[in-house]
Amino acid sequence: MTAPSSPRPAFRWRGAVAVALAAAFGLVATAWPLLAAPGGALTETTSGPWLFALLLPVVTAVALVQLAEGGMDARAVAMLGVLSAVVAAVRPFGAGAAGVETVFFLIILAGRVFGPGFGFILGNTGLFASALLTGGVGPWMPYQMFAAAFVGLGAGLLPGPNAAAPETRRGRFGEIAMLAAYAVVASLAFGLLLNLSFWPFAITQGNLTYVPGGGLGENLSRLLAYSLATSLGWDLGRAATTALLIALTGPILLRVMRRTARRARWTSAAE
Amino acid sequence: MKTAVSRAAHHGAHPVAWWGWALLLATAASRTANPWLLLLVVAVSGLVVTWCRGDEPWSGAYRVFLLIGAAAIAVRMVFYVVFGGADGATVLFELPSVQLPEWAAGFRLGGAVSAEGALAAAYDGLRLATLLVCVGAANALASPRRLLRSVPAALYEVSVAVVVALSVAPQLVESVARIRRARALRGNVSRSPANLMRTVVVPVLHDALDRSLALAAAMASRGYGRASDIPAAARRATSAFLLTGMLGLCAGAYALLGSATPAPVAWSLLACGAGAAVFGIAFASRRVPRTRYRADVFGGRDWAVLLSGAAAVAGTVLSGIAEPGTLWPATSPLAVPPLPLYAACGVLIAAAPALLAPNTSTKAGPR
Repeated sequence: MTAPSSPRPAFRWRGAVAVALAAAFGLVATAWPLLAAPGGALTETTSGPWLFALLLPVVTAVALVQLAEGGMDARAVAMLGVLSAVVAAVRPFGAGAAGVETVFFLIILAGRVFGPGFGFILGNTGLFASALLTGGVGPWMPYQMFAAAFVGLGAGLLPGPNAAAPETRRGRFGEIAMLAAYAVVASLAFGLLLNLSFWPFAITQGNLTYVPGGGLGENLSRLLAYSLATSLGWDLGRAATTALLIALTGPILLRVMRRTARRARWTSAAE
Repeated sequence: MKTAVSRAAHHGAHPVAWWGWALLLATAASRTANPWLLLLVVAVSGLVVTWCRGDEPWSGAYRVFLLIGAAAIAVRMVFYVVFGGADGATVLFELPSVQLPEWAAGFRLGGAVSAEGALAAAYDGLRLATLLVCVGAANALASPRRLLRSVPAALYEVSVAVVVALSVAPQLVESVARIRRARALRGNVSRSPANLMRTVVVPVLHDALDRSLALAAAMASRGYGRASDIPAAARRATSAFLLTGMLGLCAGAYALLGSATPAPVAWSLLACGAGAAVFGIAFASRRVPRTRYRADVFGGRDWAVLLSGAAAVAGTVLSGIAEPGTLWPATSPLAVPPLPLYAACGVLIAAAPALLAPNTSTKAGPR
C-alpha cells in the first residue's frame, strides 16, 4: 500500500483486524443503551456501563500495540510527538467558546497525509497529551480518545492519493471539499456517540432518560430529544468550525505536511 | 547517593497506586446514593489531596473537578425542573407545563416540582459529582510523567510519542514568541487572519516539523525504533493472544446485549477476553528488550494505599448485606437518611493515605 521509505506506519492486516475489532467493541461500549434488548444481561445490572468505561482503555491499548508493532520507526514516533504537541497546544483555543472545536481539523489533515494508522494513533496521543498537560484526565477521556482515533483513521481511509498532492487545481479543490464534508459528518457522529456514552449517567429521571430494556424505538426518540435539548448547538458548532478550519487552513497545512513527509524519506536504502 | 527507598519517600506514592485508590473510592461512591456517605467520600478525598499533593502544575486539578461536580448537580436539578422526574406529595411550586405533540416524542415540559423529586435528583447529582471529584483527586495526586513511565513496555513507541509531545508543547510557545518577534522586526504589524496564518502559523508548524525530523535523526542514531529481533513465532503468539482477547471482548459485549445468551456465559466471555488481552499486552511487554533507568518500584506503601481504597468498597458491600436500604435511602416520604456504619468505617479507612504518604517536600524546602 505504501512505499517502505515513507514515514507512514505500515497498516498491516493484524493491525487492521485489531482496529476493526476495537471499532466493534467501541460501538457496543457507546451505543449499548440503544442496542440492549429487553431481558438481556445488560438491562438487569447497573455495573455494565462502568465496566465498558474501564475496558475501553484496554481495547485501545491492544489496538495500539498491534498497530505499533514493527510498523513505527523513529520518524513516525517523532512526528507523532510533535503533531500531538500541536494538537495539545491548539485545543485550549476551542475550550472557551461554545462548540468551537480546534482539534479535529489537525487530526483529519494529518490522517489524510500520513495515513489511517498514523491518524488513529495521533487521535489517541494528541488527546492524551492534552489531557495530561491540562490535568483533565476525566472519565470522558477514554471515549474522547477512542472517537478521535476513529476520526483520524477515517480521514486516512478517504479515497485518493494521500501522500501526493492532486495535480490539478480542480483536484486540490475537490480534496479540500471532500475533507470538509468528511469533517461535518465526523463531527456530528462524534457528538452523538459522546452523548450516548454519558447519557445514561447524566440524567436518570424524567422524560429524557434512558429506559433499561426499552428497546431501540423508545430509546432512540428519547436520545434524539436529549441531544436536541442539550448538545445540538455544540455539535453543529463543532461541525461548522472544523469544516471552516479545513477550508481555510487545509491548502497550506496539507502542503506543509506533505513537504515533511517527502523530506522524511532519508533511509530508503536501509530498510 | 540516593537509594530507591529514600527517592520514593521523597516523591510520594506511586501514581498507579493513586489512580487505583481513587477509582476504588469512586467505585464505592457509585454503589450508593446516601448523601452522608457521598459527602464523606468527598471530604476524605479532599483531606488526602490537601495532605499528599505536591506543588506541581497539575496539583490544582482537584478544585477544577470540584467545580465540574457542582456543575453536574446543577445540570441535574435543571433537568429535573424542566423535564420532570419522580413525582411526590409535597409540591414546592408549579411551573406552566407544555405537552409536546406526539411527533416530538410527546414529552411534558414544566409542571409541578415536588420536594421528593428534587431530593432524588439532588442525591443522584451528588453521586455523579462524587465520582468526578474522586477522579479529580487522582489527577491532583498522580504525576503524569511518572505515570507515563509505568505504561506497559509494549506501548513503548506510543508513550515515547507522548513524552515528546509533553516536551515539545512548551517549545511551541517559545517558537511562536520568536517568530512573532522576527515578524515585528520586519515591520509586519498586519492583524488580518490570512496574513497571520502565512507569517506566523506556517513558520511555527514548519519549525516544529523540521525539529521533529532532526529529533528523529538523533533518536535513530541512538538506536531508537530499531527493528528488535523478536522471533517470528513469539510475535505471532503475541498477536494471537491480543486478537483472541479482542474477539472474546467483542463476543462478550454482544452477548450481554441480547437475551439469547445466559448472563453468566456472557460475563465469563467478557472476562476471558479481558484476561487474554491483558496477558497479551504483558507478554508483548516482556518481549521488548528495553531497560529502564531507575525503575519506579511499586512498594509496600503503595499496596497500603490501594488496600485503603479497597476498604471503602468492602465497607459498601458489607453495608449492602447487613444494613439493606441504607445505601439507597428512600426520598418519598421525606426523611433524614440513616448513615450506613460499615460503609462509613470503610470510607474513613480510605483516608489512611493522608498519614501513609503525606507530602513532605514542601515543608523540607525546595527540591
